[in-house]
Amino acid sequence: MTDLATAVHRGPAPAGSQPAAAQGADAARVKIAARDLNFYYNDFHAVKNIRMDIPERKVTAIIGPSGCGKSTLLRVFNRIYAIYPKLRAEGQVLLDGENILDPAYSLNRLRSKVGMVFQKPVPFPMTIHENIAYGIRHHETLSRAQIDERVEQALRAAALWDEVKDKLKRSALGLSGGQQQRLCIARGIALRPQVLLLDEPTSALDPIATGRIEQLIEELKRDYTIVIVTHNMQQAARVSDLTAFMYMGELIEFGDTEKIFTKPDKKQTEDYITGRFG
Amino acid sequence: MGNEHTIKSYDDELARLTAEIARMGELAASQLEAAIDVVERRDERAAQRVVDNDEAIDALEHETSHDVVRLLALRAPMARDLREVFAALRIAADIERIGDYAANVAKRSIPLSMAAPVAPARGLRRLSELATVAVRKVLDAYRTRDAQKAHEVWDEDVHLDEAYTGLFRELLTYMMEDPRSITACTHLLFMAKNIERIGDHATNIAENVWFAVTGEPLQMPRKKGDVTAEPVMPRLGNR
Repeated sequence: MTDLATAVHRGPAPAGSQPAAAQGADAARVKIAARDLNFYYNDFHAVKNIRMDIPERKVTAIIGPSGCGKSTLLRVFNRIYAIYPKLRAEGQVLLDGENILDPAYSLNRLRSKVGMVFQKPVPFPMTIHENIAYGIRHHETLSRAQIDERVEQALRAAALWDEVKDKLKRSALGLSGGQQQRLCIARGIALRPQVLLLDEPTSALDPIATGRIEQLIEELKRDYTIVIVTHNMQQAARVSDLTAFMYMGELIEFGDTEKIFTKPDKKQTEDYITGRFG
Repeated sequence: MGNEHTIKSYDDELARLTAEIARMGELAASQLEAAIDVVERRDERAAQRVVDNDEAIDALEHETSHDVVRLLALRAPMARDLREVFAALRIAADIERIGDYAANVAKRSIPLSMAAPVAPARGLRRLSELATVAVRKVLDAYRTRDAQKAHEVWDEDVHLDEAYTGLFRELLTYMMEDPRSITACTHLLFMAKNIERIGDHATNIAENVWFAVTGEPLQMPRKKGDVTAEPVMPRLGNR
């Protein structure tokens, strides 16, 4: 009870002068900075004037109702939209200060720095080992032994090694949904990226598999900057250090997760997280 | 509390919780008034009724705790809802203590009424009036979610503390002057302390109302009027 009292009472630092920066976050280095970011699907303005600083080695959650632009924003962070025509982004997304939206920033380089995991696990129809080794070989030239080592590292980091170490040569499609999702995370980690983008990574998983992924996120943030889009507000509250609330393409509020879920500044945020929306 | 939840039963549950607290508060305030009444009327049977009635408040507190646990488990309240539920749990505990203290006052009135009446008993009336006003006012602040009013209760507790200090001195003086009054005065002293504590619980409630409404703790240092525990109480016995 006293702990809960302290937890609920302990307010974050007062709001900073920059509304778009994560308020109250201790002075972590900014990993990704969106500057006047706009995104269009043909004529549809999906993401509007986003300015936000995502700190390094923290978990940043993006929440908001369906269609608010949260997944779109995530996809801009690794320029995955670039594979479709008629989609365009304006403004800047600075990764370590370099604008990744600049066509001169090679997609290959970007992909090696920013990994992504999707809602539905999409293992390649290959062996478990090959699912991970494939990407590594694409980006680096390594000996077989080195690749095996990297595969093991990635599987260990994704908390999957103990479950699959004896069946690395079997098809990844035989794994359970939760295992497949951890395999996808391992695949992302294997390239040693700096940023992991997770787009509803547990929405297709059962609670136990979800718990494993959440535990994994907690461990991975020591080494990676993680941005997670989730519909599950409890999950955002559990796993993230910072939470961004988006609505109709705009960033309504961005700050310490604890503050967003106990005392948000904006009424729209409050209405959404307390279930009063619509 | 603003607009409604998408899930209507959630609103019903929150409303039920608030109603339970209001009912508990009303009971506790009535118990306090009844307790003082039986002291003055020296009515032992009525005093026993007050003592017995405390069970109703305890039962309501159990109900409230049960509802809070249920809400936390099933609704996972957030933001203002979370603060409301959290505050309700704490406020219920404070009201339960207020009920206990009121029952204690009534209980002590039984042996007190067996002793010869002493003059300072009148001082208890003033003290209990201040406490009743504080309890009723803070419950009103809770009902209307009026943080400002809650803050006033919090500020005004100093008057209750001062009245308690005054009565404490008066009772000590009486006991020094006439040792035969020691039994009655000791009972009165405990009753006065109980009532002073009721004021403290009213300020606790005020703090939780403030927190529920504003999301901020009400934590600045509050003026304390109870100096009876200080090593050298100023002007002891010189009044």
